[in-house]
Amino acid sequence: MSTPYTDVLSAVTRQRGVLGCLLVSEADGIIVEANVQVGIEAGVAGALVASLYRRARLGTDAAGLATVGFLQLEAEQGHVCAVGRDGLVLATLAEPKAHIGLIRSAMLRALEVL
Amino acid sequence: MRARVAEAWVEAPLQRFVDDARVQFALLLHPSGQVLGQFGFTRAVDVMAACALGAAIHASAGELGKELDGHPFRELYHAGRDRQVFIAEAPTARGALVLLTAFDAESSLGLVQVYFRELRDALQQAAPPAVESGPALDGNFESDLNRSLAVLFGRAQQPAAGPAKSSSPSA
Repeated sequence: MSTPYTDVLSAVTRQRGVLGCLLVSEADGIIVEANVQVGIEAGVAGALVASLYRRARLGTDAAGLATVGFLQLEAEQGHVCAVGRDGLVLATLAEPKAHIGLIRSAMLRALEVL
Repeated sequence: MRARVAEAWVEAPLQRFVDDARVQFALLLHPSGQVLGQFGFTRAVDVMAACALGAAIHASAGELGKELDGHPFRELYHAGRDRQVFIAEAPTARGALVLLTAFDAESSLGLVQVYFRELRDALQQAAPPAVESGPALDGNFESDLNRSLAVLFGRAQQPAAGPAKSSSPSA
C-alpha cells in the first residue's frame, strides 16, 4: 500500500548501506511509516530514536544553539541518523560502511518535501 | 524512588519498567482492582481510587472491544493536556494483570509501549505457578485489598512466597 510518504522514504532507503528508514512522530514515538529490513524492530527503533532526537533538540535549544540540523549516532555496527521538522522525525539506520554524506543529503532533501 | 509491591515477584519487572519508560505513576493490579505494586503514589487512598477506576476502565474497555471488534481492546491510551494515561493487560501464570501508568512529556507513548512489552514478558517469566483457581471476588476481598495497601505503604510485611490462587492473588 502506498502512502504520501512512501516515495519520501524510498528516496532514502535507495542509498547504499541503508538498513531502514522510518518516519516517526516526535512527541509520541509512534511510527507514521517505516521501510526497514527484516529483523529490525521498527517500533522499538522508532520510539527510541524519536526520544533521542527530541532530547537533542531540547538540549541544543537550551544551550542556545537553535535547532538540530542533523543528528548522527555512530555505533559499533552502524549509524543512526535523524532529522526533524514540524513534529516529525525522519530516522535512518545504516551499515558502518554506508556513505553518510549521501545519506545526509538524501534525508535533508526528503525533509523538504515532508 | 522505588516501586512498592505487595508480592515480591513483581518488584524487579515493575522497577525496570518505571526506570526505563520514565513514567510518573505506575500501578500493577489484578483486574478485580486489587493492587500488586505501585510507583509514584504517596497516599493509600490515591492507590485505592486509581485501582478501582483502572479496573473499571479495563473491564468496560474489554466489553466495548468485544462489542465492536469481537475481542477485548488490548491497550488503552488517553492523552491529557499535560499527562497521558496508558492501560494494558499482561497475562501471567497467576492470571491477567493490568498495568495503569501515567506519564508526561519526559516519556512518550511509543516508549511506554516498548517497555510495556518488556514488562509483560518479564512478568510472564517471573510469575510463580498457580495451583488453585477461585472466584475473582472471594469473601475476604476487602481484607486482602486492605492488606495489600498496608504492605505497599510499609504498614505490614510482605507475605511469604508461595503458591496462590490464579484469579485472586493473596497479598
